[in-house]
Amino acid sequence: MSLLEVNSLKKVYKTRLGGNSVEALKCVDFSVEEGEYVAVMGESGSGKTTLLNILAAIDKPTAGSVLLNGTDFSKIKDSLISTFRRDNLGFVFQDFNLLDTFSLEDNIFLPLVLKGMSYKEMKPKIEPIAERLGITSLLKKYPYEVSGGQKQRAAVARALITEPKIILADEPTGALDSKATDELLNLFGDINKNGQTILMVTHSVKAASHASRVMFIKDGEVFHQLYKGGNTTEEFYQRISETLTLLAGGKSV
Amino acid sequence: MTVFYPRLAFDGIRKNKKMYIPYILTCILSSAMYYILKYLCYSKTIKQIPKTETVISVIAFGCLVIAIFSAIFLFYTNSFLIKSRKKEFGLYNILGMDKTKVGRVLFFETLFVAVISILSGILFGIIFSKLCELILLNLIETDISFNLTVSSKAIFNTATVFTAIFLALYIYSYIGIRISKPLELVKSESFGEKPPRANFVFGILGFVLLGVAYYIAITIKNPIEALTWFFVAVVLVILGTYLVFVAGSVMLCKILQKNKKYYYKKNHFVSVSSMTYRMKRNGAGLASICVLLTMVLVMISSTSCLFFGREDGLRSRYPRDIAVKVNFEKPVLLSDSAVEKLETEVKKVCKENNIDIKKAWNYRDSSVTGLLTEDGKIDIDSSHASVKDFNKLITVHIMPLSDYQKMTGDNTTLREGEAIAYATLKTKLPNKITVGNKTVKIVKRLKNLDVEGSSTTEVVANCFIIVPNVNYLVENISSLLDPLGEIMVVNSWCYGFDTTANEKMQIKATGEIGDVMLDATSELNAFSYSIDCLSSERNDFAGTFGGFFFLGIMLSVLFLVVAVIIIYYKQISEGFEDASRFDIMQKVGMTKKDIKKSINSQMLTVFFLPIIFAVVHLAFAFPLIRKLLLLFGLNNLSLFIFTTCLSALVFTLFYLAVYKLTSNLYFSIVSNNKYPLD
Repeated sequence: MSLLEVNSLKKVYKTRLGGNSVEALKCVDFSVEEGEYVAVMGESGSGKTTLLNILAAIDKPTAGSVLLNGTDFSKIKDSLISTFRRDNLGFVFQDFNLLDTFSLEDNIFLPLVLKGMSYKEMKPKIEPIAERLGITSLLKKYPYEVSGGQKQRAAVARALITEPKIILADEPTGALDSKATDELLNLFGDINKNGQTILMVTHSVKAASHASRVMFIKDGEVFHQLYKGGNTTEEFYQRISETLTLLAGGKSV
Repeated sequence: MTVFYPRLAFDGIRKNKKMYIPYILTCILSSAMYYILKYLCYSKTIKQIPKTETVISVIAFGCLVIAIFSAIFLFYTNSFLIKSRKKEFGLYNILGMDKTKVGRVLFFETLFVAVISILSGILFGIIFSKLCELILLNLIETDISFNLTVSSKAIFNTATVFTAIFLALYIYSYIGIRISKPLELVKSESFGEKPPRANFVFGILGFVLLGVAYYIAITIKNPIEALTWFFVAVVLVILGTYLVFVAGSVMLCKILQKNKKYYYKKNHFVSVSSMTYRMKRNGAGLASICVLLTMVLVMISSTSCLFFGREDGLRSRYPRDIAVKVNFEKPVLLSDSAVEKLETEVKKVCKENNIDIKKAWNYRDSSVTGLLTEDGKIDIDSSHASVKDFNKLITVHIMPLSDYQKMTGDNTTLREGEAIAYATLKTKLPNKITVGNKTVKIVKRLKNLDVEGSSTTEVVANCFIIVPNVNYLVENISSLLDPLGEIMVVNSWCYGFDTTANEKMQIKATGEIGDVMLDATSELNAFSYSIDCLSSERNDFAGTFGGFFFLGIMLSVLFLVVAVIIIYYKQISEGFEDASRFDIMQKVGMTKKDIKKSINSQMLTVFFLPIIFAVVHLAFAFPLIRKLLLLFGLNNLSLFIFTTCLSALVFTLFYLAVYKLTSNLYFSIVSNNKYPLD
């Protein structure tokens, strides 16, 4: 059994008056194994964000199912969905989504506090993570006082601290400069090596080339997949670029 | 090209109607109210009524208050508007419109708002002025006429004052735009916010100021002190409230955050940290609401108490329906035969007018005012007295034993040098009283004495000393003159009574008594006399207190509306800022229920802090205001408790309704922005 199974997912948006309907996802099938690092690529409007929202249990599919560790999302009661999300999923967003009213430390603690953990239990958890992400000295600072890369690392720490089954990352490098991007991608590589499953939605070939598998989505369907296999990151980058060129040309691979 | 700027300005107002409508409504309300009060000042109907000068001057004062207050408040709300418009102005600027031209758009915007509000303000003013006139006339209990008049003077006045305010607003905002850079304008809404820092000095100072003000309010003993300290206490409370709300609240939140065990709890974590920011942003606004509410509560509870208790005030000022007092320079002039003559004259007039005499008092009284020293000496040399000595100030009434016996039926006999005493205002009289250089020993103390000046509402303490021979005490001081050359010891014959005759008869009889007294007193060498008729004073009392009450209602309405508007703007701006925050919290794993709970607890705290503080302020102000009401002769404690509690209750309910309405608005803003699909 795979960690994450996505079966014939379909999502149709209707305008409020029921006139036009837009098919964001036609039929998406894929699975993610434990310890995998998957990148999902696609152009704007291809359905990436819709897919991620459904995986994050924020949005519900029109048809099809999502199973995490065998648990069907649609079977979870609405009242428990937030708890489920908190316990099993970690999020990293393009715009960091740190709360400006909290220091970085408190931002990282937030999911644990919501879980009902005491300060004594939380305190030892943050130290190794902060150390690994290199933000130990920044913990007392507020989001507005640190750089984008530092904010994103704090957001990663917040995602990691609950020890989630899978980390869902939405364009995590989208708002970072090239140096911070490199740092973050290396970091993702590191935590993946430690066994963390990551699913990342991205536009960036560079970001995708760090993953172990890249899925291409076009017009609401999984169009193609590439495995890194024995490739170096540079070689993989090349292959992804070629595939994207083909995709843009509209030919089949 | 000429219509371009007005058009742009008009669109700006239309698109931001959520912000502009409440603003324009406030402008309309304040100009309408200003017009109404000005109209009442100039109203011929009111001027024709006798004894309305006090009412008119009270209302004129109200005009001034409204003008100043409107100016302050419109500046405050205008800052909200400009903040929300800055982005747009910045965009115009970047698109190539120079600042002078942006200023032109701003000018037309201000012009539109000004024209709309002044015109409709005056229109509403005219419509409601008659209603207010009727209410006022009804309150001051006079007959009313029903013709609607328009006062061009009041219109002109209102237009001038509010044009001036709008002009100042325009200049102020234009300068604001002028000095800011275009990029700042575009970004001004999303400036990174520094975390609030606790300012312990100001925070603690706020609590200390409130404490001092409360202490003053509770410990004030007499009304004159209350009057002088009242304004000190008001200033302290206002300062203290602002400091507590702005610095003290952040300080408390920070202390809570320091307590890790408390802070890192699901229910406290988000609420406490958000509260810190909320208080930093809203402290001043909330303090303003609190001060306004306190003003409204104090105003309504005291003016309504004065108004509804006016009969009590009247009664304590005039203990008898009709009272006559004839004053002489020397006690010897007040012989038994003189008294008898005066009494017969008064009784004769009463009989002619069919006035029955009930609960009559009839006595002689030599009174002198001085400072009561601890050893019982009445120091009548006032040259070295100061305000501090006010508590020692006492008026001594020396009354002959024979009059006392006749009036009360008490048969106590006294020897020379002995006295019966009665003192008001809990004055502690020593066993020996010295007046001039003669001392009397008090052998009996009375719990009650129903004569003039014995009322508990008197500001200065009174003490009555009943002696067998008045001259024994008075002789050596009766020729003393005060620095103004007036005699210090006044020897009076006091005669007063209640009657069942109707008001008109009483007033008529009072006039006739005056006529006969003129002859009788000159015959007896009296230097002055006075006749008080409660009935003829009733209108004056109703006029003054009715005027106060009316003004209290008018100002309360204005202040309340202003408080509501502040709350409204707070909720809107908060809603937009919080929407994104709650979005994140939900993504991090906070359930909708938790979020709702957290919002609710924060909203309740933010909302009810001002009213709670206002009610506490009112509670502490209670003793102080009570003392001030004594100055108006009002000593009806239960009435005052009733009006205070009732106004507190009514305003809390009103506030609750406003909370319900505006928090719905807030929730709709917050939930609309949830998960915008990109």
